[in-house]
This record gives sequence, C-alpha cells and structure tokens, in this order.
Amino acid sequence: MSATLERPTAAIATARRVPPSKDSRKLIRSQVRAGWMLLAPALLHSAIFLVIPVAFAVALSFTDYSFGDSWAWVGFENYSELFGDANFRAAFVNTLLYAVVVVPVSIVISLVIALGLNQKIRGLGFFRTAFYVPTVTATVAIATIWLWIYNPGSGLANGFLSLFGFAPSQWLSNPDTALPSLMAVGIWQGLGTKIIIYLAALQSVSRDLIESASLDGANRWQRFLNITWPALGPVQFFVLVTTIVGTFQVFDLVYVMTDGGPGTETMVLVLDIYTNAFQDLRLGFASAETVIMMILIAIFIGLGRLLQKADVND
Amino acid sequence: MTSATVTGPIAGTKSSGPGIGRILLYVALSIGALLMITPFLWMVLTAFKSNLEIAKFSWLPDELRWRNFTEAMQTAPFLRYFRNSLFIAVGETAFTLAVCTMAGYALAKLPIRGSKALLSYFIILLLVPFQIILVPLFLIVKSIPLFGGNNILGQGGIGWLNSWWGLIIPLGAAPLFTFLARQFYVSVPNELAQAARVDGLGEFGIFARIMTPLVKPALITIAVFQIEAAWNAFLWPLMITTSDSMRPLQLGLAIFAQNPAEVQWPYLMAGTALATLPMIVMFIFAQKRFVEGMAHVGIKG
Repeated sequence: MSATLERPTAAIATARRVPPSKDSRKLIRSQVRAGWMLLAPALLHSAIFLVIPVAFAVALSFTDYSFGDSWAWVGFENYSELFGDANFRAAFVNTLLYAVVVVPVSIVISLVIALGLNQKIRGLGFFRTAFYVPTVTATVAIATIWLWIYNPGSGLANGFLSLFGFAPSQWLSNPDTALPSLMAVGIWQGLGTKIIIYLAALQSVSRDLIESASLDGANRWQRFLNITWPALGPVQFFVLVTTIVGTFQVFDLVYVMTDGGPGTETMVLVLDIYTNAFQDLRLGFASAETVIMMILIAIFIGLGRLLQKADVND
Repeated sequence: MTSATVTGPIAGTKSSGPGIGRILLYVALSIGALLMITPFLWMVLTAFKSNLEIAKFSWLPDELRWRNFTEAMQTAPFLRYFRNSLFIAVGETAFTLAVCTMAGYALAKLPIRGSKALLSYFIILLLVPFQIILVPLFLIVKSIPLFGGNNILGQGGIGWLNSWWGLIIPLGAAPLFTFLARQFYVSVPNELAQAARVDGLGEFGIFARIMTPLVKPALITIAVFQIEAAWNAFLWPLMITTSDSMRPLQLGLAIFAQNPAEVQWPYLMAGTALATLPMIVMFIFAQKRFVEGMAHVGIKG
C-alpha cells in the first residue's frame, strides 16, 4: 500500500497491465509515432548532407565529371594519375609531416599543462581562458594575426629574434621554415580543447588512490604512470582521434598564410582538393583525392586504436 | 604511531616543496599563458598604429588611433560581413537546436525499435570530416529542386549556392549535437513525463514543455558550440558565396589579407579584432558550458 502511494505512476502502469488494455498499447503506439516524427528531420538532413555525399564522393572518383553535361566512367584512372601528380605528392607528404609533428607535440604539451593546472592552483579560470582563447578564435583570424607576426619586415617574430641578437628570418617565404612555421601555429591554436578535456579527465581520477599510493612511497612519476595514465585511457583515444582528424583537415591556416607556397612547400591535401575541384574544375579527380584522404584518416584512427589496445594490455 | 611517522616526512616535503615547486609551476604556467595571449595583444596594438609606424617593429602605438576602426570599415565592408556572420550564426544555431533536440529526445526517451542502431548511425557520422564530402555536397546543394532557378529535378539553376539557405542549412544540425542532446535527455528522470502523460499531455507537449526546459543548460552548451562553429566557418562560405553582400566576416578577412597590393595591416588587425572579440567574450561568459560540453563529449562519450 505504501509502495503505491510512493510511486503512483508505477501503480498505474501495473493497474493497466492487469488487463492488457487497448489504452496502453495505444499510448506506446503514439509514443513510437511521435519518436519517428521527431527523428525525421535529423535523419533526412543527415541522409541528404552526409550519407549521400560520402557515397557520391566514392562514385564521382571513378568519373571524369567536371560540371559539364557529358561525363564518363574512367575506372581507376583518377587514382593512377594522382600518384604521378606532383602537387598531390607534395600535399600528401606535407599533410603526413604536419600530422606526424603536430599530433604528438600538441598532445604532450597539453597533457603537461593540464597536469600543471590540476595542482589546485589559484587563478585556474584565468589560465583556462588564456589557453583556450586561440581555440575559440576563428582560424582565419588566427592566420591573419600570425601572417603579421611572421612579417619579415616589422613582424613580432623577427622583433623577438632581434632581442636575442639573432638574424631576422623569412619565415613563411623560406622553403625550409614555411611548413614548421605553420605547424607552430597549428600546435599553438589546438592546445585549448585538449587541455580542457585532459583537465576534466584528471579531475575525475580518484584522489584517494593517488594519496594512498604516495603513502605507500610511490613517487610523482610512479603515481603518474600507474594511476593517472591508465585512468586517462578512453580520453587519450578521443583526443588522439580528434587531433588526427583535425590535422588532416588543415586548410584555413594554409589558405590564408601561404596558399601552399613557396612552390608546393606547404601544399596540403584539402588545399589541393579545393584547387583541383573549384579552380581546375576537375571534380572526379578531386573526389579521388578525398577518397584517399578518407582511407588515410581511417588508417590513422585504426593505428590509434591498436596503440591504445597495446597500452591497455601492458 | 607508525602512521604518524609515515605521514610525517611527506607532510614535511609538502611544506618545503610548495615554496620552489609552486613558484616554478606558476612561472611556467604564466609564460605559457603569455605565449597564448601575446599575439592577440599584438593584434590590438597594431590596430591602433598608423601605416607609418608599422614600417618598423615597435610594441606600443604612438597614439591610440581609434579612427583606424572607422577607416577600416570604409576600406572594406567589415560591418556588413559582421552582420552576415551574425545572421548565419543565429540561423544555424536555431536550426540546430530545433532538429537536434527533437532527435536527441526521441533517441533517449521514446520506445523506437532500433534506437540503439540509430544512435550508432549518428556516432559514426560524427566522425565524417566535412572536407571529405565538400565536392559532392557542393553538387547536392547546387541541385536543390525549385531553388535558384532549378526545376523540380534540380537542374538548370544554382540551387542553394550563394544563398542564405545554402550557408545555413547544410552545415547545421551536425550529428555531434544530436548525440550531445541525447546524452543530456538520458539523464532526465522519466517520472515527470509519465505524470504529464497521465494528465493527458500529448507526446510533443511532453517533449517541448516538460522535458526540454529541464535540459536548458545543455541547450546553452549546444548553442555555444554551434555559434562558435558557424562564426568561425570558412571553407564552405568560400566555396558557395559569389556575391560580396553575403560574405561572412572570416571570408572578408581572408580576401582583405590577400590583397595583391600592399596589405594595410592596421586595418586588417582592426577587422580581425572585430572577428575575434565576440567569441572571446562569449567564452569568458560561457566558460562553464564550454568545459561541461567538452567533458561530456570527451569523457562520457
């Protein structure tokens, strides 16, 4: 009796269940109908603007379509042509280099900063804002600021170098420093998100566990290796995947700062895809390039997964 | 007694450690924060300088040339770009909130067969980078039927290209936000919905008037992320806008920065300040939402 008083809805539900009433079935049916109606816009939107485009990209990559009325299936011709294409090769190598440098460096730096911010420090709000501001800012705006910083004549970067008596650098127009200069901006801008995610994860690591470990005589490094690191597992994977996908997408930065130059020193995949599709109007060719990018990202995510599994098994 | 001797030395190192260790920590973090903020300071300082001053490296402007901002507006229609960006951000956010809360609620609370599979569908789509579909997306948007001079088969015209529809709809309602909304609705207890059902409220009423007000903080989180994404978007507007009157701020900035003649840095930095400040202010005010949202995606997701 007291149970029915406490949970009236449960009581009604059981009362209804006794005779398998039409009402409850009707209620369920109306819920299902409402559910599908509420889902319909999202399903329709994702089908038109995501699923169909992915399939469409694969199909286009086997054609020579270029906005005109006539087009033909060309099999793997686009792909074989791609591998001989100098721009694509430069873009492929540069994007890989960019990812191979930016992903680990930015992950390590943001983890270190997050560990620092996790030390019950004062002014956490200020530091968090400072590190996150570049992330919340548009990449185009970041790019114009850094374009000015790297300005060889009167930019901040050379002003800084001259403070220490170094010779001014050409930064973006020197083939040797162009890509590293872009990487530095990419790393700098991407720290914020990772720091906040790591910080949130670190705050959920059990303090008791860490305290009892330090009572047992574990030093800082041992505590990090045996408690903190394993606890970060799932978050590591998330950060790794999003960072990899993010670096493969690099475009705004390159488009505004170097447009792929000097020569093809900073040509990256998305910029090459954009150029092939919307300047040379070779949509089939550009689509083949996106398919290769898709495969590359999948491989990298797979590798990340393997790394994580190996880490867990240790 | 033994426990006291064990804790003793640790407490000891703690009280001597904080001295140097703490100071080093604050110094390191401060240097890091300075590295983050300096470029923005440099942007603001440059925005006040004259064209003569920027010929040589200097920190502070000789005088605060506020007229740089008005002159920048005359050199390029930054104000119109700003309004366009605002319009796109607001439109896209409204669209996203409507579509994603509906779907998220249905996935979390309504007895749909296969809702688990549908959830994985959205999670997989969440991983598809926009850059991979840019070519076909352009073609699809170009052939939206009955828009931009297209016939019912989507041929003959430009569809949603160079239109507000094209700028707002395709990039709105990202699967990420459906997933986020679903995560938030799941944590709302069912009892209230049941009680409302007993009172005779319809399913849509329960969704809109009972359950959605309960996840208001989550809606703000989604809105904040969507506003940021829409405000900062570049590649898609670059692809589909041809007329200057529809260009968002980021695109306007990029065009100004690529001026084949000499770039007017003070004006460009004034425009850039216009592009960055709204998002920085939004972050400062909605910091909690940003952090919560990211924790939700990164840790629980």
